Amino acid sequence: MLQLWTAVRKVPTWVFPAAIGLFVLVLPLLGPGYELTRQIELTLILALVVSGLNISLGYAGQLAIGQAAMYAAGAYTAGMLSSAGHTDLLLQIVAAGLAALAVGILTGIPGLRLGSWSLAMTSFFLVLLVPDIVDIFEEDTGGHLGLSTMLNPTLFGRSLAPDAMYYVIVIVAIIWFAVFRNVVASRHGIAFQVLKQSPVLASSVGMSVFRTKLTGYAIGAVPAGFGGALLANLDLFVTPEAFTFHMATGALAASILGGSMSVYGAVFGASIIQFNNDQSSNFAEYSLVFFGAFLLIGGVLLRGGVAGLLRTGIRRLDRAAGLWPRRPAGAAGGGEAGGGAADAVDLPPIEGGALEVDAVAKAFGGNRALREVSLRAEPGQVTALIGPNGSGKTTLLNLVCGFYRRDAGRITVAGTAIDGASPHRIARLGVTRTFQTPLIPPGVSVAEVVISGRYTSDEVGFLSAVLRGPKFRRIRRHDLARAEDMLRLVGLAHLFDTEAATLPLGQRRMLEVARALVREPKVLLLDEAASGLDEAEVETLAAVIRRIRDAGCAVILVEHNFGLVLSLADRIVVLARGAVLAEGTPEEIENDVRVRDEYLGIVEPGDAPAVEEAGTLPERTAK
Amino acid sequence: MTLIYAGLSLGAVYALVAIGYNIVFIASHSFNFAQAQLMMIGAFVTYTGYVTFKLPTVAVLALAMVVVAVLSAIEERIAIRPVSDHQTQLITTLGFGTILTGVAQLIWGTQPLQVPFFAGAEVLTILGGRVFPVEVALVVFAVALVVAITFYTRRRMGGLAVVAMSQDEEAATLRGIDVRMLAFAAFAVTGVLGGLMGAAIGPKTFAVASLGAALAIKGFVALAIGGFGSMYGGLLGGFAIGLVEQYVARYLGSNFTNLSVFVLLLLVLMIRPTGLFGRVQERTV
Repeated sequence: MLQLWTAVRKVPTWVFPAAIGLFVLVLPLLGPGYELTRQIELTLILALVVSGLNISLGYAGQLAIGQAAMYAAGAYTAGMLSSAGHTDLLLQIVAAGLAALAVGILTGIPGLRLGSWSLAMTSFFLVLLVPDIVDIFEEDTGGHLGLSTMLNPTLFGRSLAPDAMYYVIVIVAIIWFAVFRNVVASRHGIAFQVLKQSPVLASSVGMSVFRTKLTGYAIGAVPAGFGGALLANLDLFVTPEAFTFHMATGALAASILGGSMSVYGAVFGASIIQFNNDQSSNFAEYSLVFFGAFLLIGGVLLRGGVAGLLRTGIRRLDRAAGLWPRRPAGAAGGGEAGGGAADAVDLPPIEGGALEVDAVAKAFGGNRALREVSLRAEPGQVTALIGPNGSGKTTLLNLVCGFYRRDAGRITVAGTAIDGASPHRIARLGVTRTFQTPLIPPGVSVAEVVISGRYTSDEVGFLSAVLRGPKFRRIRRHDLARAEDMLRLVGLAHLFDTEAATLPLGQRRMLEVARALVREPKVLLLDEAASGLDEAEVETLAAVIRRIRDAGCAVILVEHNFGLVLSLADRIVVLARGAVLAEGTPEEIENDVRVRDEYLGIVEPGDAPAVEEAGTLPERTAK
Repeated sequence: MTLIYAGLSLGAVYALVAIGYNIVFIASHSFNFAQAQLMMIGAFVTYTGYVTFKLPTVAVLALAMVVVAVLSAIEERIAIRPVSDHQTQLITTLGFGTILTGVAQLIWGTQPLQVPFFAGAEVLTILGGRVFPVEVALVVFAVALVVAITFYTRRRMGGLAVVAMSQDEEAATLRGIDVRMLAFAAFAVTGVLGGLMGAAIGPKTFAVASLGAALAIKGFVALAIGGFGSMYGGLLGGFAIGLVEQYVARYLGSNFTNLSVFVLLLLVLMIRPTGLFGRVQERTV
C-alpha cells in the first residue's frame, strides 16, 4: 500500500490536475448529454470567479466579496462589445479581464487603506450597486430587462458553433488554473502569505504593503472578468440578476468550502455550489440557508476547507511512507544533529554601511520616549544598544525602520538620509531586522521563510513567474542555494522542509536571523535576539553574529544579556529615559559608574551621580 | 422640511444599525455582519405579532426582543465563540446573517410586509414639513439610545467593565471580570436592542428579507463616517447618509442614491480613514 503511495508521489504533482483537465476537455467525445456539459460549463465559470476570491481572500488575506461585481463588469464588457459588432471572443475575454481589473483597482484602493472590514464592506457595496449602474446606463446595458442583442461569438474570424463554447470554457479554465498555480508557488505567493501574517514583517523585507495587497486584490479580479465574458457568450444574454448578492455569497461559500488557500479547491467548491444552485426550484429556496451554513461550518470547522483536509491526508501518508520531511540535496552531508553549532559555511563578504542617528527625538503624547539621541554604527562592528525597559531602545529601532515618524533629527543609512521614507523603502536601502517576538507565517516551510527575505533581490515579475522561463528557474535555484547556505550558517539546515511556525522559540529566532541575512543587508538590527534562548543557543547566536560582523555588516544589537553584550560588542550605547547615558567600548561601559547604577542597579555608597539622579522619578512606559 | 425629516428618519435607521455594530465592537472588537439581519428578523416578528397574532404593543415589543436576543445568543455561541480571529468571524457572522435571510424568505416570503406602528400613521405637520409619527419616534429613539449607552459606558460599573475588556482582555480577567460571560451578555443585549430596533424600523422600511443587506451596508457607512467605536459618530454618520440619500433621490433620481452613498464612503476612506471621531494607533511592533 505504502509502496503504491511512494510510486504515486514520484509523479510530479501537476500531472494530476492536468490529467483531469484533459479528461474534461475530451469528455464530449463520450456523449455526456446537454445537462452534464451545461453543468460543467457553469461550474468552471463559477470556479474562475471563486479562484479570484482565493487569491485575494485566501492568499492575500483580503476579505473582498465583490467578485460578483467584477464578474458583472466582465460580462457587460463582453456583451456590449458583442452588441457593437466586435464578436471576436479572444478580444472580448481580454477586454473583460481588463475591465474587471480596472474595477478591482479603483474600488480596492480606498478599501485597502483601512483593511479588513472596510474592504469587505466596500466590495460588498459594489455588488449592491450593479443593478443601479446597469439601470443608469440602460441604453447600452439593456437595464433590468437584460442585454439581449449579443451576436454569435467568433474566434480567429470563424463563427463558433454553440457546442464549441464548451471547449473554449474548458481551455480558458485550464490556462487560468495553470497561471494561478504558478503565481502561488512563486515568491509572490509566499509574499502574500508573509503579508497576511504581518504587514510589519512584510515591509521589513522590503515589500510595499499597500501595493502587495492591491496586487492580490486586483489579480483576483481578472479571472472573474474572464468568467463574465464566458457567461455572456454562453447564453448570448446578460442580466443583472446573474450578479446579485446571492451569487456573491455563493462564490464566497464555494471558496471557504473548497479551501481559500488552495488552487484547485476553487473547482471543488464551485461544483458543490453549482450543484446546489441547479436543484430544481423547490430546493433553490433553501440555497441561502445552505450558503450561510457552508460559510458558518467552513469558518468554524474546516479551517483549510476540503483542500486543507486533503493536504493533511497527503502529509500523513507521506510521513508513513517516509517521504517527508525531505532533505535538500546538500544537507545530507552536513551531519549536524539537532541544531548544534554553526557549520563552517563561507559567509561571503557583505558590503556594509554605517547607520547614523543624529539628534533624533520622538514623543508619544506627553511621554518623551527619545530626546536628542545620536549614535553611529560602523560596518564590520557590533554596536550594542542597552538600557532598562522603557529607555527607548525599541522606539529607536522603530524609527530607524520607519514604523514611527520621528519628531526631529536625521537618520542616514550608508550616507543616504531616510527622511520620511516608508518602511519598505528603508528596507530596500539595506536595513533589515529581527523581531522581539519572531514573526513567522504559518504553513510555510523553513526554506521558504528564508527565501521570503530575498523578495527585493533579483526581482521576479509576475509574467516570468507564470511562464517559468530559464531566468525564473535560475533565480529559484539561486534562492534555494542561498537559503541553504544561510540555514547551515545558523545551524538549521536539517530542518529545511519543516513547517517553520512549528519550530521552538530558539530556532525561530535563528530562522529570523537567516531570513534577515539572506538579503546581504548593510545594517542588521537584532531586537533582543537572545531572549528566551538557552545557553547553547546563545553561544551559537554569538558565533553567528561574529561571523556576520566579520563579513562586513553593521550589526546593531538590542540586548538585555549584559554578559553577551560585553563579549560581543565593539561599541556599546547605553540609553536611559530616552537619552544616551554613556557610550564607549565594553571596558569603559563596564566600569562606568552611572551605567552600573542606572542599568545594573549596583548602588555604591557615596556615589554623587546616583544621589543626584534619585530626585527624578524613573519613567517607565508600558511595553 | 419634509425632505429633511425623511432624511433624518432614514438616517436614524442607519444609525441604529451602526449602534448595534458599535456595541459588539466596543465589547469584543469583532464586527457582527449579521446585526442588520437580526434587526430584519425583529421587524418581521413585530409584523407577525401585530398582524397575525393581533397582540398588544407591549407584548409585540417583548416578543421581538426575546426572539432576537435568543437568535443573537445562538449566534454568539456558534459563530463568534468558536472562532478566535476577527477575519474568520466576518465570514461566520456573514454566514449566520445569510442563514437568517434565507429563513426569513422561507417563513415570510419575498414580498415586503407593512408593519403597523402603535402611534398610528397619521401625517403630522411640524415647522411646515410633513412627517409620520414613526419617523419622529425613530429619530428620538436613536438619539436617546446613543445618549443612554454613552452614559452607561462612562459612568456605570458594568459599562466600564465592557470597556476594560475591550482594552485588554487578560487584564480585565485579572480584575475579576468574567470576560466570556460579559462578551456573551453584550451580544444578548445587542439582541434585545436589535429586537426593539427592528420593531422601530419596520413601520418605516417595511419588513422584507432583502432589508438585511441594504441596512448592513448603510450602517457600516455610517460607522465609517463617524469612526469605529464612536456612538455619536455613528449617529451623525447615519443622519448624513439619510439626508444625502433623500436629496439625491429627489434631485438626481433614485438610481443614484446608492451610488452617491458609495462615493461618500470612498471619500471618507480616502480623506479620513479613521472617520470623524476615530482614533489613530501608532504602535505597530
